[in-house]
Amino acid sequence: MICENCKQRPAKVTVTQVHNGEHFERHYCEVCANSLHPFYVEYKQDPLSLHQLLSNWFNHTDQQPMQQVQKKPPLECEACGWSIQRFLDEGKFGCASCYNSFRGQLPTVFKRLHNGNVAHVGKAPGAFGEKLALKKRIETIRLQMKEAIETEQFEQAATLRDEARELEDKLATGGEETHVD
Amino acid sequence: MSIERFLDNSISSWMAGDGEHSDIVMSTRIRLARNLNGYRFPLAFTEDEAHKIDQSVSATLLDANEDLQMNFSSIQIKDLSELSRQVLVEKHLISPKLANSPMTGSSLISDDEAVSVMVNEEDHIRIQCLFPGLQIQEAYMQADAIDRVLEKELSYAFDEQFGYLTSCPTNTGTGLRASVMMHLPALTITKQMNRIITIISRLGMVVRGIYGEGSEALGNVYQVSNQTTLGKSEEDIIADLQSITEQIIQKEREARDALLKHSANTLEDRLYRSLGTLSYARIMTTEEAAKCLSDVRLGIDMGLIEDVDVTILNECMVFMQPGFLQQYAGTTLNTSERDLFRAKLLRERLQKGEKMKTKGENSYDV
Repeated sequence: MICENCKQRPAKVTVTQVHNGEHFERHYCEVCANSLHPFYVEYKQDPLSLHQLLSNWFNHTDQQPMQQVQKKPPLECEACGWSIQRFLDEGKFGCASCYNSFRGQLPTVFKRLHNGNVAHVGKAPGAFGEKLALKKRIETIRLQMKEAIETEQFEQAATLRDEARELEDKLATGGEETHVD
Repeated sequence: MSIERFLDNSISSWMAGDGEHSDIVMSTRIRLARNLNGYRFPLAFTEDEAHKIDQSVSATLLDANEDLQMNFSSIQIKDLSELSRQVLVEKHLISPKLANSPMTGSSLISDDEAVSVMVNEEDHIRIQCLFPGLQIQEAYMQADAIDRVLEKELSYAFDEQFGYLTSCPTNTGTGLRASVMMHLPALTITKQMNRIITIISRLGMVVRGIYGEGSEALGNVYQVSNQTTLGKSEEDIIADLQSITEQIIQKEREARDALLKHSANTLEDRLYRSLGTLSYARIMTTEEAAKCLSDVRLGIDMGLIEDVDVTILNECMVFMQPGFLQQYAGTTLNTSERDLFRAKLLRERLQKGEKMKTKGENSYDV
């Protein structure tokens, strides 16, 4: 048997933990047992690695209803050939395009890793920063427009609509330019 | 610029012992993870890709020396001996991952060793700033300045929804890891650390012992850092870490006061015993050395021990590590030889430190 922690050296030490009346046995090499044990018992109850965690979450979602089955993600990244299975096994992406290829699956992963968050907030590189700011501005205008309609201020709503359109045009051309780059 | 300088000198600017709250916060570290478009991540890329990335990142940074008012030296990891790599790891200038990478990779290190940019570590680019004391904002501004220079010349992998794209999903978003290294002996002695670790982990932050996950804190040094990188802006991450750090500092000070009030004699005895051990012991393991250094440091911070300079201790914390010892010895040493040599160096260093100090005060006006 090899050590559960380093998965390299042979296991020589058995650690028995009692948790909620259940007994758990763990097998470690001497090196890992020495370094893990003092802290281990008190606050790390399961030596799950990141990839194990990822696999576990996906198993959970697998048990959920049909929607998941219909939106089957591509199994491989077109750019680097990294498969979703490999992502789950290693807990790492192969290239930037993997994010696109596995996009549908990622919110589940990120929610768990980042306190429920699934979208970036904060700094963006130059060109993206402007684009993002533009998008946010359009969103705000749309909200204001809705409010205006609800309070029957149609003239103002029309002005806002025009403003939003103008910005959208700008966004569209800006988008093309970055593609040319 | 030659690499020897970085290897021979065990003192980096972050060990200077100044900076705010430097009696408790030893150093602040900011790390930004970035990747370039058009290349696979280091986990999956080819040597050819590695080489191209290394060249373009290194060239961009070396060109920017003037703009950044910095003098980067580029060090090719492949050119280094195993021991040299270990020394750089112990100085926190490169990571173990980069040191062991079979592919082309390099580290661009600033003259004062406060900044090191690792190329082809887990991500293509890792900008790291290490400042003494509590200086989260300052360190971030430095990292941000370098990031801006790089983003002007290079095309970063970025996604509108997910932010900066990184190899590991735990870094996606800002790619920012902000951490402070804290010396918390009083909270450890009074057994409050486990409670604090639990509370902090609920706030999207992590606390670790200094040498990696799951390990017991060597020398009562803990690293507090943000866990969340997605959905939280850089400013918020920094502000949250700042506020948590300040609260821990406050708790540590309270614990120190309480120790002094309730068990001054026991404490003083323990701290001086450690000073005695450091000054006279003949065999010293890393663990014992770390424990003793922590005690002496606490003694200095609390004004109980007066004739030792705190910079010497910071330096001792670094050179007592296996790689440095061997660099100093100029030869490889097995574990028991290291323990002997470590004890010898610590003895010498502490005596020399004391002597130099009295000399300086009495006769030399340098």
